[in-house]
Amino acid sequence: MKTSLKRLLAPLALLLAAGLSTFGATAAEITVHYPMPGFFKTVMDQIAAEYMRQHPDVKITFTSPSPTYEDGLQLMLRQAGTAEMPDVSFIGLNRLRVLAERNIGIDLTPFIKADAKIAEEGFSDRLLALARFNGKQMGLAFATSNPIFYYNADLVKKAGGDPDHPPKTWDEVFALAAKINALGDGVTGMAYRWQGDDWMFSALLFGHGGTMLSADEKKVAFDGPEGLASLKLIDRMVKDGKMPALTSDATVQGFTAGKIGMFFWTTGALRSIINGTGSKFELRTAPMPVIDAAKGRLPTGGNAAVMFTTDPAKQKAVYEFLKFASGPFGASVVVPGTGYVPNNDLAAKDDRYLGKFYQENPLFRAGLNQMNLMIPWYSFPGNNGVKVTQTIVDNLAQLVEQKTTPEETLKSMTAEVQKLLPR
Amino acid sequence: MLRDGPLREDLMPEVLPPEDLPPRGAPRDAARGEIDRHEARAAWLLSLPTLVLMLLLLVLPCAALVALSLTDAELGVPEMHFLGLDAYLNLLTDRDFIRSFRNTAVYVGLVTPASVVLGLVLALLIEAGTDLRAFFRSVFFLPVVALTVAMASVWQYLMHPSFGPINLMLKLVGLPSVNWLGSSDIVLPALALIGIWQAVGFNMVLFLAGLAGINRDLYAAAEMDGARSAWSRFWTVTWPMLGPTTLFVVTITVINAVKVFETVATLTQGGPAKSSDVLLWTIYQEGFVYLHVGTASAMAVVFIVVLMALLLVQTRILERKVHYT
Repeated sequence: MKTSLKRLLAPLALLLAAGLSTFGATAAEITVHYPMPGFFKTVMDQIAAEYMRQHPDVKITFTSPSPTYEDGLQLMLRQAGTAEMPDVSFIGLNRLRVLAERNIGIDLTPFIKADAKIAEEGFSDRLLALARFNGKQMGLAFATSNPIFYYNADLVKKAGGDPDHPPKTWDEVFALAAKINALGDGVTGMAYRWQGDDWMFSALLFGHGGTMLSADEKKVAFDGPEGLASLKLIDRMVKDGKMPALTSDATVQGFTAGKIGMFFWTTGALRSIINGTGSKFELRTAPMPVIDAAKGRLPTGGNAAVMFTTDPAKQKAVYEFLKFASGPFGASVVVPGTGYVPNNDLAAKDDRYLGKFYQENPLFRAGLNQMNLMIPWYSFPGNNGVKVTQTIVDNLAQLVEQKTTPEETLKSMTAEVQKLLPR
Repeated sequence: MLRDGPLREDLMPEVLPPEDLPPRGAPRDAARGEIDRHEARAAWLLSLPTLVLMLLLLVLPCAALVALSLTDAELGVPEMHFLGLDAYLNLLTDRDFIRSFRNTAVYVGLVTPASVVLGLVLALLIEAGTDLRAFFRSVFFLPVVALTVAMASVWQYLMHPSFGPINLMLKLVGLPSVNWLGSSDIVLPALALIGIWQAVGFNMVLFLAGLAGINRDLYAAAEMDGARSAWSRFWTVTWPMLGPTTLFVVTITVINAVKVFETVATLTQGGPAKSSDVLLWTIYQEGFVYLHVGTASAMAVVFIVVLMALLLVQTRILERKVHYT
């Protein structure tokens, strides 16, 4: 009788001890959700492993990732306030405003105010501003990008250009595009990634020093000279640069196949373009052609780490993890793996993180050198905020197909976008 | 079903079979009523699991869909307002929705006749052939079993304007190259081409089954009556006898074509400038990207109603004309 009771109690005691010990060791378990596993899985696994090594009291678990930013956002909107809601998610910079307007996600302002070391850890105010809406700090920028200029050095050489001195203005781009077009053999001079979203259009608009909406966000502001000049540039890409009306995929495939001389898109795609190009031709990158040296700016793409947990006890631990993921270590993993620029000022300069990497990988420097020009990717207000971007793209499509003139495009784009703004 | 002998005997052995009941009058009727009630109860009991599942999985979601469609619900916004029929009236003036409706109709109009006729022709050719029938059957059936998204990327390569094999072949014979997926005038026919390619194999298999069911004696009889040419045999025997099959094939093809989504999502995303926007893609964008759950639900209701109407027209009206028995 005695022995059987002992036998019964022994495992129980063990179980209890094990439970107590894990309770003692693990102060917090943080569940993390992220989009686009193709881009981010390895990166996330590395960051979590390193964080848990440094903080043995924290356990990081991943919920199953979403295929796109849209899917991720939807998931968070649906799970907000439920038990399944992860503590952290990574949300596209252009979708943060949706969360801010719906009061979902935790405003990080109090945490940052209480954090004396935030600036010396490389989070400058410029970087924080990328994820700030109406005074709410919706997250910390995790992976950031800006548009860059990709070119096929072999085609440039063949056309009589100098690959060491790529065009610095759009006029020079069009002149070189004409030479590359003259090569024949199905080769096109240039392509600009206007499809998919309004990001590359805003690169031209911000490049002229323009803005999407008026300061009070009630009226379209791209209907002025900056907007028209941006559309005229796209018109010239088609007329002078002979840019064909391709789908986004076909453009990238055409460039990596060596059929397009120059291509303008996010530096975030750099790693996949390097992989797609292989050894077919010599790939080079350069900063975007300068439009207005004084007023010109560039949009920031990418995503931010956002806190969702409402449990005050947990929030402290989650904040530390957000800082780690978006900090220098996170950047040193994200940058080489994708082509995004460091979202942290410290990471780029310090040899412990990326200093050396940039010396050895010149292709990655185009985006880095433009970091001082980066301003937030504008997201439109109201419940049609996301729809507006598609409206802009649809209008650009008609311009690229030369069904409308830049003036007509501006007119219809202005009217359609104005209709979608909150009244 | 309710009056099936086996059902009664297996489940209610305590009830006497009718022939052992008193010969006539009230007692017999009472017993009959008793049996009927038992049967009815058993029937309801037996169908209960299915009914519950149907309620949970079909009726309730549909009701929720209709309810949501009458509001301006948005994902992540706690409050919503009742719009009533205005939600549907808004759709009538929604240019994008009308455009996507029209695009879907054009797509169905291109895919259905072509894939039905081609499916029939292939079935007839394979049926008439002697060698390699299994081989051709499998080859033409391949697109049906292939994963659409994977095949879409193959088509993307084939249709690439500068190095796609289709344009290279056009160039070989001296034709100008075509911007298949990037031109707003061509993109819908290009997608329809892929849709036809997908549907033909399936239609062919259905027609082969239909052909196998035709009584050989009919051909002999027709030949006696003077139908000597292949065409007159086809026109007097094969085609009329294939009536029910053809109806089924047309129905299935229309439904599948109305449901086109994967190729649009992977190849064109509705572009350029909405020229390949189709209903399911518009609903997806509205609900999942723009987060307008209410509008998307209204569109989905319209979509379902259109599908049901098509089905009703085809089964009710056409069915009368295709059966000869």
